[in-house]
Amino acid sequence: MLVLALVFLLGPFIVVFVAGFSGDDTLRFPPQQFSLRWLIQVFTVEAFQRSFVTSIVVALGSTLLALALGVPVAYALSRFRLPGAEAVRLLLTLPLIVPGIIVGLALLNHGVLALNLPVTLSLLIGHTTLLIPYAVRVVSSSLANLRVDIDDAAVTLGATRLQAFFKVVLPNIRGGVAAAFVLAFITSFNQVPVSLFLTGPGVSTLPIEMMAYMETSYDPSIAALSTLLVVFTIVLVAGTEKLLGISKYL
Amino acid sequence: MTHLVLDKLNLAYGKSAAVTDLNLSVAQGQLISLLGPSGCGKTTTMRAVAGLLRPVSGRIVLAGEDITQRPVHQRDMGLVFQSYALFPHLSAYDNVAFGLRLRKVAAAELDQRVRSAIASVGLQGFESRLPANLSGGQQQRVAVARAIVLRPRLLLLDEPLSNLDALLRVEMRAELRRIQRELGITMLYVTHDQEEALSLSDRIVVMRDGRIEQDDSPEAVYHHPATPFVATFMGYQNLFDWHDGALCAGDARVPLAVQRPARHLAWRPEHVAVGAPGSGTLDGRVLARSYLGERIEFLVHTALGPVKGCADLSAGWREGADVGVRLDPAQAALI
Amino acid sequence: MHRRLAWLLLAPALLFIALLFMAPVLALLAGAFRIDGAWALSPLITFFDEPLHREVYWRTLRIAGLATLTSALVCYPAALAMVRVPPPWRGLLTGLVILPLMVSPIARTYSWIVLLGRNGFFNALLQGLGLSDEPLKLLFTEGAVFVGLLQLMMPLMLLSLVSALENLPADVLAAAATLGANRWQAFAKVVLPLTQEGLIVGGTLVFTGCVTAYITPALLGGPQVLMLETLLYQKVNVMSDPASASVIAVLLLVTTLMVNQLLKRVSK
Repeated sequence: MLVLALVFLLGPFIVVFVAGFSGDDTLRFPPQQFSLRWLIQVFTVEAFQRSFVTSIVVALGSTLLALALGVPVAYALSRFRLPGAEAVRLLLTLPLIVPGIIVGLALLNHGVLALNLPVTLSLLIGHTTLLIPYAVRVVSSSLANLRVDIDDAAVTLGATRLQAFFKVVLPNIRGGVAAAFVLAFITSFNQVPVSLFLTGPGVSTLPIEMMAYMETSYDPSIAALSTLLVVFTIVLVAGTEKLLGISKYL
Repeated sequence: MTHLVLDKLNLAYGKSAAVTDLNLSVAQGQLISLLGPSGCGKTTTMRAVAGLLRPVSGRIVLAGEDITQRPVHQRDMGLVFQSYALFPHLSAYDNVAFGLRLRKVAAAELDQRVRSAIASVGLQGFESRLPANLSGGQQQRVAVARAIVLRPRLLLLDEPLSNLDALLRVEMRAELRRIQRELGITMLYVTHDQEEALSLSDRIVVMRDGRIEQDDSPEAVYHHPATPFVATFMGYQNLFDWHDGALCAGDARVPLAVQRPARHLAWRPEHVAVGAPGSGTLDGRVLARSYLGERIEFLVHTALGPVKGCADLSAGWREGADVGVRLDPAQAALI
Repeated sequence: MHRRLAWLLLAPALLFIALLFMAPVLALLAGAFRIDGAWALSPLITFFDEPLHREVYWRTLRIAGLATLTSALVCYPAALAMVRVPPPWRGLLTGLVILPLMVSPIARTYSWIVLLGRNGFFNALLQGLGLSDEPLKLLFTEGAVFVGLLQLMMPLMLLSLVSALENLPADVLAAAATLGANRWQAFAKVVLPLTQEGLIVGGTLVFTGCVTAYITPALLGGPQVLMLETLLYQKVNVMSDPASASVIAVLLLVTTLMVNQLLKRVSK
């Protein structure tokens, strides 16, 4: 059963991978010929290039913002006993419960249209709210493994709370923060529902562009792009895992 | 008549051999202890008898039937785990009733047997408690009740007392012995505690590295250990080679006459008297001194190596003092 | 002093979420329930007057439910097998299961397009084996959406069950076996009751994931097989009916919250 499940889960990846190397004009499986043609071609499509850059910028920006907002929250929740802690946790879970498409629509109506916010900014805001819960959750779990005593030890040795945080706590939760970074980055990069209403001809993310492209063309471009994305993801996750051993925090 | 026979049993975990060519027979109604340090293969042997581990080769025969290939749930054996393995979602009553319900025993008989089993381990009144609300000793007793209520042909216990504190352990030991006697059930008991084995067993099987070192009555294992390993395991902390009429260690030779030739001689610390220099078999210097309540124990450095001996509470020698140790051949175990 | 510091640390994030997330969302949802300047819950009811709406809602629940059930049936044996795998391989296996969750849903869903399309793998296979003369319509059916969602959500159920199984007390399965339970009895009487929380968590994740999915229904279902989120998108972009969209949004929220609560009650 396990083998069957694994085949079901991973088989499609292999399919996409193979399809990316297709040399045909239209999408068929198995491909009639193999080539790197489409893999190279997707790099030249302007829409893909632009949206890729936008995706990276938004992902990077919202991840950093989410971490900047979320790490203090994780720290506060784990180090202090707060009366409203449960309510805070609930509030932080909301972005995960509310369907992304609603968030996008809400920001469109009341952000972009009503307040005339630039689209990229709205994207950034939308993605950040989605990522804060991830950041808090992952960093919290790595903080949980760190004893409270060490902050106190640092303070008794003369450090202020701020110094204690940067010199003692942060270095020890590096792995957790890195894991949160990777998780948040990937989540933002792959995000579709939130971005759906917030993007347009001027500003778009890569996934949105891919979906738009699929509506009109039937060539293997998307397969090629998917192949590249799969490789990109694997390299990113495996790489940080090797360097930092982040899997225990996920 | 032999109830359980293990015939040339070979057990392994993957590629590494755990038990090699083990032969053992147990008579009906006997309590046999498998005694040894961790890694000696005693738990492995027990799990194989229960069916949780498949032998590489050899046979397991119970009451004349070869059960080597029979699956676990058809072996009709009770197993009390070191971790108790109580079902956390079931009350004590339901835990004990589990096996009976699987066998579709009628309600009235089931109730009677469950209550009687719970009473026999002294837990009347605790039937509706969940394991989380029971102490370690109580959980252990539920585990025993759960196993015996099924009236198995063989009861296997895997270090059942190791998670209990010292006082409770002694108490439960007596309980287990009593239950075993009452039910006349054949029991295989795994432990690393030699005191436990001595007090409970009809026979002790000392194991090491997957083989049997000695299989004998408690008296024989205690007074006449068959190998150096058994001797040191059973508390003979002074073990020396003997050759040509003398104890030897390296270049040192201390003449000592014994009734019959042996390869090794061993003494328990309480049988080695520490006295003034020259008063014993050989002299040495005190390395350490411990107060044991009834007597003082000394670790003495001698030509034969370190020797552990005792003296009464009036002995005043401190670390570094010169003393004599007396090794009485009459008190020695000859191996 | 400490309290103040704590709230200071929490404030930026909380404000951010409150102002830039909750406020717009609440405003949007509220917009659905104003009729002639007064609050009313009726839009939620009248929404179901339209047959298309009823069909879409029912379809969404149906597919989500089926996917949840199937994933439970498939993942239990898979999880049981997985926990028996020894350490070095376990990490690899876990990694392989988590990996799909990290890859873009578009790539994952796209593979089904490749497989189920008119020139796709399955059709090629069927025609090659002589079982069919012309390509079957496999895409843009409920089946396609079901399969796509199942593949997307399964890792969640699998990981949840594995985590629950890992927390089983030691030796409990062996104990059940020595007491006479065969594999099925041990599963039903011991494993299932003790892991039901994991099942509930996994089930909730899968069900809500399916109900709130957009990409998979959009790509594999298209306009013919609408689910709640694709309907919502249509309402806004195609039909210019934002009021309906808000109602759907509320419906999505209410449904997911209800399911969450329901499953929480069941587990008690």
